[in-house]
Amino acid sequence: MSMFKDIPVEVGVIYEGERIRRKNMHVELGGPSMKEKFELAKVKSLTEIEDGKITIIGSDIKDMVEGKAYPLGILVEVAGATLDQQLEGVIERRIHGYMNYIEGLMHLNQRYDIWIRIGKKAFQKGLNSFQYIGKVLYKLFKSELSIIEKIQITFITDPAKVQGLYPQALQDYETRDARARGLKDEEVDKFYGCMLCQSFAPSHVCVISPQRYSNCGAISWFDGRASASIDPKGPVFAIERGELINAEKGEYVGVNEVVKKKTLGDVDRVWLYTAFDHPHTSCGCFEAVAFYVPEVDGFGLVSRSFKGKAVNGLPFSTLADSTAGGRQIDGFHGISIEYMRSPKFLDADGGWNRVVWLPKEVKERVKDFIPKEVVDKIATEENAQDVDSLKTFLKEKNHPVVAKWKEEIAEVEQETMVESAEQGLPMPVMSASTLPIMAGGFKIILKDAKIYANKVIIKTIKDEKTKK
Amino acid sequence: MTRKNVRVKIGEMKTNAGFIKNLELSVGKLVDDSWEEPMGPTPKPGLTTLRNWDLKLLNRYKPFYMPACDLCCLCTFGKCDLTAGKRGACGLTMAAQSSRIVLLACCIGAATHTAHSRHMVHHLIEKYGSRYPLDIGGLNIKVEAPITRLVCGIRPKTLGDLDEVLDYAENQITQALAVVHTGQEGNNLDFESKAFHVGMIDHVGMEVGDIAQVSTLDYPRADPEAPIVEMGIGTVDRSKPVIMAIGHNVVPSVGIIDYMKDNSLDDKLEVVGLCCTAHDITRYWDRGKIIGPISWQLRFIRGGFADVVVLDEQCVRTDASNEAERVKAPVIAASAKNCMGFKDRTNDPADDIVADLVSGKVPGVLILDPDKVGEVAVRVAQKIAPLRKRFNVLPEVNEVVELAKTCRHCNMCQRSCPQDLKVPEAIEAAEEGSLKKLNELYEFCIGCGRCEQICPVNIPIHSLIIKSAEKQLTQEICNCRAGRGAIQDVEIRNVGSPIVLGEIPGILAVVGCSNYPKGGKDVADICREFANRRFIVVTSGCAAMTAGAYKNEEGQTLYDEFSGEFAAGGILNVGSCVANSHIAGAAIKVANIFAKRPLRGNYEEIADYIYNRVGAVGLAWGAYSQKAAAIAAGFWRLGVPVLVGPHGSKYRRMLLGRADKKEDWDVYDARSGDKVNVGPAPEHLFQTVETKEEAMVFIAKLCIRPNDTWKGRSIKLSHYIDLNKRFYGTIPEDLHLFVRTPADIPMTMKDDILKILKGKNWKETIIPDPTLLPRMIRKKRK
Repeated sequence: MSMFKDIPVEVGVIYEGERIRRKNMHVELGGPSMKEKFELAKVKSLTEIEDGKITIIGSDIKDMVEGKAYPLGILVEVAGATLDQQLEGVIERRIHGYMNYIEGLMHLNQRYDIWIRIGKKAFQKGLNSFQYIGKVLYKLFKSELSIIEKIQITFITDPAKVQGLYPQALQDYETRDARARGLKDEEVDKFYGCMLCQSFAPSHVCVISPQRYSNCGAISWFDGRASASIDPKGPVFAIERGELINAEKGEYVGVNEVVKKKTLGDVDRVWLYTAFDHPHTSCGCFEAVAFYVPEVDGFGLVSRSFKGKAVNGLPFSTLADSTAGGRQIDGFHGISIEYMRSPKFLDADGGWNRVVWLPKEVKERVKDFIPKEVVDKIATEENAQDVDSLKTFLKEKNHPVVAKWKEEIAEVEQETMVESAEQGLPMPVMSASTLPIMAGGFKIILKDAKIYANKVIIKTIKDEKTKK
Repeated sequence: MTRKNVRVKIGEMKTNAGFIKNLELSVGKLVDDSWEEPMGPTPKPGLTTLRNWDLKLLNRYKPFYMPACDLCCLCTFGKCDLTAGKRGACGLTMAAQSSRIVLLACCIGAATHTAHSRHMVHHLIEKYGSRYPLDIGGLNIKVEAPITRLVCGIRPKTLGDLDEVLDYAENQITQALAVVHTGQEGNNLDFESKAFHVGMIDHVGMEVGDIAQVSTLDYPRADPEAPIVEMGIGTVDRSKPVIMAIGHNVVPSVGIIDYMKDNSLDDKLEVVGLCCTAHDITRYWDRGKIIGPISWQLRFIRGGFADVVVLDEQCVRTDASNEAERVKAPVIAASAKNCMGFKDRTNDPADDIVADLVSGKVPGVLILDPDKVGEVAVRVAQKIAPLRKRFNVLPEVNEVVELAKTCRHCNMCQRSCPQDLKVPEAIEAAEEGSLKKLNELYEFCIGCGRCEQICPVNIPIHSLIIKSAEKQLTQEICNCRAGRGAIQDVEIRNVGSPIVLGEIPGILAVVGCSNYPKGGKDVADICREFANRRFIVVTSGCAAMTAGAYKNEEGQTLYDEFSGEFAAGGILNVGSCVANSHIAGAAIKVANIFAKRPLRGNYEEIADYIYNRVGAVGLAWGAYSQKAAAIAAGFWRLGVPVLVGPHGSKYRRMLLGRADKKEDWDVYDARSGDKVNVGPAPEHLFQTVETKEEAMVFIAKLCIRPNDTWKGRSIKLSHYIDLNKRFYGTIPEDLHLFVRTPADIPMTMKDDILKILKGKNWKETIIPDPTLLPRMIRKKRK
């Protein structure tokens, strides 16, 4: 294509999934055998950047020995009137995608973990210089992210230089992460809405705030911000969050307005930090479900990857079915794993103090974000497989929900009894022993009776009381 | 839990409350309606219930007829010449007659699957009881029977519940078949609509069959890691007696395997299968083997590999018994639908039948009791194997040369060959003593044997070809993955986000028979190409076998190389013909899972959803039977386009959209009610392609849907453009029809494409929430 006329190999999204095996590789850059490697995006001022400049510090690809691995640092420095440091992470992650579009180049991982291979065939075709890779990055960044006005790209392979810059890169990632984690919903004016899933679930819209990741786990507030500024008419758009109506539940005037508009009025109120009353809706690709367990007045969490039954006896497939399709269902809540790491996670409902069960694998992933006082009090499938064993476990560990139990438990038990009695109701149709009538004082005798019905329909009678 | 005819009879009963004598309580039908989902608008649709929907599709994709025959010969008024606008004695036009034959084919196909399922359900109920619970995927599947729910409004829980579903299907097939009678419909679109209807019924029939067998026979249950199974005659231990089953209905084969297990013989014999029965043998038993697809029946029988041939139903060569007789392999016909002229010995003692078959007193028998089939087949195989000593009817090499010398060079063999193979050349070379050219035919031959039938000097040409390739044949060792059954709900959730974001550009279902040249290399190449492009590739039936018949440089088949998960780059075999229902089922579940659209009796809405959103394409490379026609028709009604290979023109018609007519491509935007032009997406509903290259370009293009996000569309277009460039050397001419906003343009081609768009006077448009149904336009709530 003419856009990449001067590049010796093809460039296109179809090369994205390309894998280059060791025996087919010309050289490896970064990767597990190199301790120091990194890629870093930095936002600079317009005067600091020379647009289009590509610099190579150290040996170029053509100078490298076939079959060997080399350290690598990639520095992408950008400038633009509307760019700020908050967008560095988003820009940096594009390096991975764009580099993979190059035929015969494999780019894995990100940040201090990058692993790049250049294939033999690509090298033979002439992909022998970082200049080419730089040009591809330059063109794609400029054409895809119009907010970037100037960009310069540096490839560093000189081991001493990589070693020297490496600690600084680590420091930058840490600063960026701390800033991201510390960012609070109240501190920003804009949230972001995502309607990508409306292509399959037309009545769902995701509200993405700094402290509430998209349900699918794929789009952070920063991603949303970048998408919206690059393509303001696109499926990810800014929401002026407006006035805070309820800090505890997470209700904002602007969010309500936008959700109402985008769902054509199906949903007119969203509370961001709770699974009750007006929970955030979901499409179908949420990573996990938070489900209320009335018997213990707490929440279970179950992830898509969990194969067994959750503690309430239902598998993910059934629980997920209770919340998909853009509906607001009390006590069932589609969420991302990342949201579990947020301080606002189910905040209005008690946060982690209200969580009683989750799969071990998920617990391991989010452990560092669960308050220390409660982390060991939350059961996994190893501690509890059903509600009874869960109750025992929670009592034993004195989980915060236990304190609230006493009166409520009695009530719940009573309801359960009512339920089971009524469930039995439709059965008499089939059973002759209960046919004789309940009326007091009379004795009814059926002799040579024949009762015919063309059709008998059995329906479940809903117990209004248990619905709450 | 619907049950019919519940009767309670009480002779005498005394309780505190009353006294009962001779009470009879009879309930015609007991219906469990505890399913909370309300009934949709069209449970158990009749012939015309969904006609409006069909006409919407048929007006977009107008049938284009290619009559295989100029005449109608169906009644005794005729034959009637229907060419050049003439009407027949009944008044019928050529278009109506062509569509009538399509409907007839679909009725035959649907009847075949449904009757197969009826036989199985009946047998399994007898064996396991009607209350045996259905379980096709344990905890990972909530929607156990998406097609049955969608079409019938029934949520089956037990084997017995399937009865009512089959009652409905049988009823509809009878109704539709009646339409083919002289003097019923006269309009071709009405015939077509009915063909769609029967196609839908066919999917119901298939689903019932597969969920019944998966639930009872302990098959892999929606298992992405269903075991890799051996395939090819080279995998068979020929020191053991070999029983070969051919057909589609696994019940007799289960009888054989159970008998072996019960008598500790399971490592003493080989049980191998051809065609779909092979799939189901390996789903039932890990030591079962697939030896090949449908088209290889002659080579395996003539090669003398089988000691006993068991025939069940469907796609069995009708001369299989004659061929088996030639290699002295006794035949057991085991299906009421395929008796082969044999005497019914179902009620005879097994000892007598075994003796008659071993002694050669009779070449074959009909046994309609699967357990008895099991006993007889195993005992006969054990006794006859040492006597037969792999007797075959392949000529020796010197005989091949001698036979070739009798050739009169009339070229009739090539003329009668459906593949137009250069048989005369190969025979000529054989005359000179070289079998090389015969050997080259082996991979291209589809095994029909027509060359032999036409040969005026009776040269057994097919046997000559087999002989020339004997070494390849006996060394055929490759892998298939046992049919996994349904797609898990959780797998569908997992692919939700990547499909929305375009990381998975589409779903390709490679189905049908393998009657095509090169033994399916084309199929394997297409599967690999699209798995590498991170499509989800689903296979079934004989196509699933041929997909596994080729190895890469590292000796891996596609099933070794790619995962069996319903995920980007997965290649999954759902199973036998009846398992095709899981492919349609997965599309249906997408609507249920992501949009929470109710399925129950809600066909039109779900088909509209799938048509406008789910980028799936079916590919049947080797045309074959009427069943394939019915399966395709079921996909059309759901709005899933189907491509057929070079033989597909013999289906007599295509359903082609007109990309040049802009007005054909309006949809409603459900958000606003506005009409939005979405371009030809997908362009055709049923189409023949001539080469695998053409197929690949169209597969990429037919995955385009009106709802695509810009990201998804840009990736779909990348694949379309890339394949078009690779095979035709150009950027596709119709690109401007598929670009809605600049963001749709693949980012690495922006400059060039913007230039093209300018030249085509392209205008930006919006991405709607697409529907063809005005009733789906959402009303704003206040």
